[in-house]
Parts: sequence; C-alpha cells; structure tokens
Amino acid sequence: MTELPWLYAALSAYALATIASLVGVGRLGTPATSPADFAVSEDQRNNERLVLALMTASVILLVVTLTDRWLRIGHGPFVNLFELLISQLFSLGLVYAVAYWRIPVLRPTSVVVLPLMGVLAVWVLVLEPSDSVFPPTYHNPWLWAHVGFGKFFLAFSLIGTGLAGVILLRSRAYFKNLFRHLPDNVILDKLAWRFMLLALVFDSLMLIAGGVWAQDAWGRYWAWDALETSSFLNWLLLGASIHARTTYNVPIRVGALLIIGIFVFAFVTYFGTPFYSEAAHKGVI
Amino acid sequence: MRQPAVKSVLRRLASTKLTLLWMVLLGVGATLSYGNPVETSIWVLIVPMLLLAINLVAAIISNPRINRRGGLLVFHIGLLGIVVLAAIGRLTHMEARVEIISGNEFSHDHLIEVRAGPLHNGAINEVRFVQGPYTVEYRARMSRGRTYSQVAIPDGEGGWYESVVGDDRPLVIEGYRFYTTFNKGFAPIMSWIGEEGNVIETGAVHMPSYPLFDFKQSNSWTPKGGDEIKFWLQLETGLNAEEAWVLDGREATGTLVVNVAGKRTELLPGESVKMAGGSLRYEQLTTWMGYKLYYDPTLQWMFLISVITVAGLGGHFWRKLSAEPLGLDDALRGEKKLVKGSVPAPRSASV
Repeated sequence: MTELPWLYAALSAYALATIASLVGVGRLGTPATSPADFAVSEDQRNNERLVLALMTASVILLVVTLTDRWLRIGHGPFVNLFELLISQLFSLGLVYAVAYWRIPVLRPTSVVVLPLMGVLAVWVLVLEPSDSVFPPTYHNPWLWAHVGFGKFFLAFSLIGTGLAGVILLRSRAYFKNLFRHLPDNVILDKLAWRFMLLALVFDSLMLIAGGVWAQDAWGRYWAWDALETSSFLNWLLLGASIHARTTYNVPIRVGALLIIGIFVFAFVTYFGTPFYSEAAHKGVI
Repeated sequence: MRQPAVKSVLRRLASTKLTLLWMVLLGVGATLSYGNPVETSIWVLIVPMLLLAINLVAAIISNPRINRRGGLLVFHIGLLGIVVLAAIGRLTHMEARVEIISGNEFSHDHLIEVRAGPLHNGAINEVRFVQGPYTVEYRARMSRGRTYSQVAIPDGEGGWYESVVGDDRPLVIEGYRFYTTFNKGFAPIMSWIGEEGNVIETGAVHMPSYPLFDFKQSNSWTPKGGDEIKFWLQLETGLNAEEAWVLDGREATGTLVVNVAGKRTELLPGESVKMAGGSLRYEQLTTWMGYKLYYDPTLQWMFLISVITVAGLGGHFWRKLSAEPLGLDDALRGEKKLVKGSVPAPRSASV
C-alpha cells in the first residue's frame, strides 16, 4: 500500500486546514467595538491564505495518493468504499478550494464544510485499504461522465450546505458575532440556492450519463436498484425544494434546513446505499 | 364565457401546490418500486407521472412564468417528453434471453424468457448474425474480466463482416441490442446412429454455465427412438483458480463420460459407443454464449430529449443569474471598503 503515506499526509493537511479555519473564525469571538471590527482584518486574511494553502496541499497530496494507487492496482478509484472516499475527498476539496479562493464570502463556511469533509477523512482512516477488482462493465467512457457530474453535484450541494450551516449558526448570538462581516442572511440564502441550482443541473446530468452507462453495461437504463431509487429520490427532493423556494417565500431557516436535508440524502445515497445493498448497481458486485 | 372557464380550470390544474403534491406522490411511488417487487403495481408510478404530466401541460399553457421564458419552457416540455417517451418505451419494448452455439446463426425461435410490451412491433425476424468463438479473461481467484465475443453479420451485399462484442459493447441489429452475459459454457455435439449405421439425429447439448458450474458439467439427452442418455463432460480448459486465465473454447478439450449399462465409457471427439437401439457418437466440442436481448425504440430519443431538457434548465439559470447579480463584489469581499455590520438585502422568492 504505497499510497498510504501520501493519504496520511493529505488528511493531516485537511485536519490542519480545519483547525486553522476554526481558529480564524474563533478569533472574531470578541464583541465588535468599532466599525473596523466588521471588516475583514489583515490577520483574518492571512488565516484565510493559510487555510487555502493547506487545502491546496491536501488536494495535491490526494492526487499523488490516487495516482500511486491507480498505477499500483491498474484502475481508477471507482469500486470499493476506501478508494471512493479518497476520490470524493479529492473532488470535494478541489471544488471547494476553488470556490474558497474565488468567492471570498464562502471562506467562513469552511468551519462547516471542512468538519463535514472530516467525517469522510475519519471514515477512510478506519477502512481496510484493500485493493479492488475492476468489473468488466466499468470499461466505459460514460462511467467517467457519470462519476464526474456526480462529483460536481455533491460539491455544489456541500457549498450550499456550508452557507446553510452558517445561516443556522447565526441564529445563536455567539455565532452571529463570529460571522458578523458576512452579508445579510438574505444574500447568503440566495447564494446557497444558486449553488443548489447548479447542483440540480449536475445531478440531472449525472442521472442521464448513468442511464447511458447502465444501458451499455447491463442492458437497461433504469431498473430501480438501490442506488437508482435513492438517486431519483434525491433528484426529486432537490427539484421539489427548488420549485418550492422559487414559488413561495420559504423562510430562510426552513430553506437552510432543506439544503442540509438534500446534502444528507445525497451523502447517504453516495456512501451508504452502495454498501447497504448487496446489488446497488447490478453487475458491480 | 367559455374561455374564462377553461382558463380557470387550467390554472387550477397548473397549481404549483399540486406540483409539489404530485412530486411527493411520485417519491412514494419510487420508494415502493425499489427493487421492482412483484407485489408492487406499476400504477404507483404511472398515476403520479400522469398527474404531473397534466399539471405540467396546464402550467405550460397557462403559466407565463414558464411559457414566456425560453429555457424554462424547454425544460418543462422536455420533462413532459421524457414521461411520454418512457411510456412509449414500456409499450414497445422487448426483453429476452438466448443461448447460441458457436458456428450457429441466431434464430428468434430460440428466445427464452421473452417479455414484450403490447405494442412491440420490432423486426426480430430480420435479425441475422452467426455466433463465432469467444474468449473471457479471468484474473486470479476467478474474478471475471472482459469478454470478447466474435460475431459475423450480413453486410447486405451477400457477404458477412466480423465484429467483436462483449460486456458494455452490445451487438445492435434492427434496434435489438444483444449483451453478452456471464452465462456461457460448453456444448458437446453428438449424433445418434441407428442399427443400420444411418445418422438419425445430431444435436448439441448445452452444458451448465462454465466456469460457474465447473464441478457439475453433467446433462442428459434423449435422441429420437432412443432412451435417455446421461453423461458428464470432463473438461481441460487450463483453469487454475489461483492464476489469471483466459477461457477460450478453441483451446479446450473435453472427454464425454457416458454410463452404458453400468459401465463407465469415456469418449473423445470422433469416438462412439454402442448402446441399446443404436450408437452414440461424440462429434466435437463447441461452446455456447448466453445473450441478454433488449429492444426499446425510444432510447436515442430519450437521450436527446434528456440532454435538451437539462440544456434548457441550464440556459434558464444562466440567463436568470446573469440578469440578477447578488452584488457580492462590494458587499462581500470586505477588502474594498469597510462594511458596517451585515449587508441588508430585499427578501424575495427569487434566487
């Protein structure tokens, strides 16, 4: 398992990024006494640079981990939970790091997002790092499209969840102070739902690419297996939530809870269903 | 008087609250359909889809928020198209299985487990191909790898051309898609010879799937005018469960073991044994491949409509979001100017 040292290094970088982001936001715990306290200070900006640097380092180390494993076992991270979690840590980390860099308002959401990714990191550490066998039906370019779109769907849902988490945390006085330099919840809510709109587009593309792959691989594009049923319900929940959000004045906190619910559903679909069901996708096992 | 009444009905049918209700109903239907249980009726999906289709049509006609926005209109019409295509697909589809001996031509008479929609009208009679040899790769510990199945297909000019299919590369003829399966094996070809030395019947007996049932390669055959003959096949395929291996019927040999009057007799290809009422001749060893057959004339359309639907949705979001910037540059970046407290913003249902 030559990839393990790289993995441990990557997870350490993630852990340090998480600690740095919590420390950075925690420093704002003192009550604001002047207008300057509402602005992003130089200290904070340095902290954000540190968090971004650590996240970038972690993503690069995960690329090395995945490449090393790929070269060793001869196929990409598509089969067992150990390699799927590493792959997700990489893609979620990459998309979030880019968003963190380009959209400064998202930076405080790292105190929600990074601990959530920490769940995956701890999970991967307790798994047996076993090699996997590549099924013959996985030699299909649509698998890449299916997985790729799915990664963007989950990443955008995660960013939406980060914003939703901040909105909910802000209802507590202590956290309200911590996130004081952020815009009003109305803007955060709108931004969160914009990420959920993107998530819906990529979720739809994931289902289409998955259908094409399933048709080629197993001779049917839809069969209501565990993963298909759960993915469809997730798509339906996301679609219905966006429909409700754009049609009615859904209270901001209710909207935030909906976003978190969608992410939790997606999380269970991705990381729970394939291993809860003996035949998540017919042919895989 | 009539037009307002129609409009009123349309508005009620297009209710956005009903949309949510029917979506919940569809979610319940999807949950009940998990694993395609026999006891769950297809109506648990058809009813909510039908209700959503009615809701969608009414909304497309009566809701200016939909029919005056190009992208959103494409998305909603696309959703309707997907539902309609899925229904047509189920009505016209066909699924079946078939086992074909290497060297033999496909015949629809040999289809088994056939399930077809009531409006299935495909040209299965015109499907022609000849099964050739195949190879299947196995890794150590009998983990199946890729399948390469050779087939010969008429070129339309009196000749044939060869193609290799397998796993995720189906053979597609007349819209029928043939998928190789794990189900494949060996088939000894045998002749039953009468007392006068004339061949009465020649047939191939499909032995159980190989290597899945490597340990029980036995079967029986009852030739015309003869008694049931029980036999088993002793195969030499190079199989070693601990090493990588390629299953190739051309490289395999098989000894046919027949029990005649309580006496074990081993036959190699070309050899025969005398039995009551005639002789059994073991002609040669060949292989058979099991295919899954799938036909759905809506597949390409379904893909096209799905992509257009998502493109419509993406286009709508793109236009909407570019037209309504959140103003993050000044309010959110903080580095441009001091921000006194959180930035207030008007509340609306838009995102």
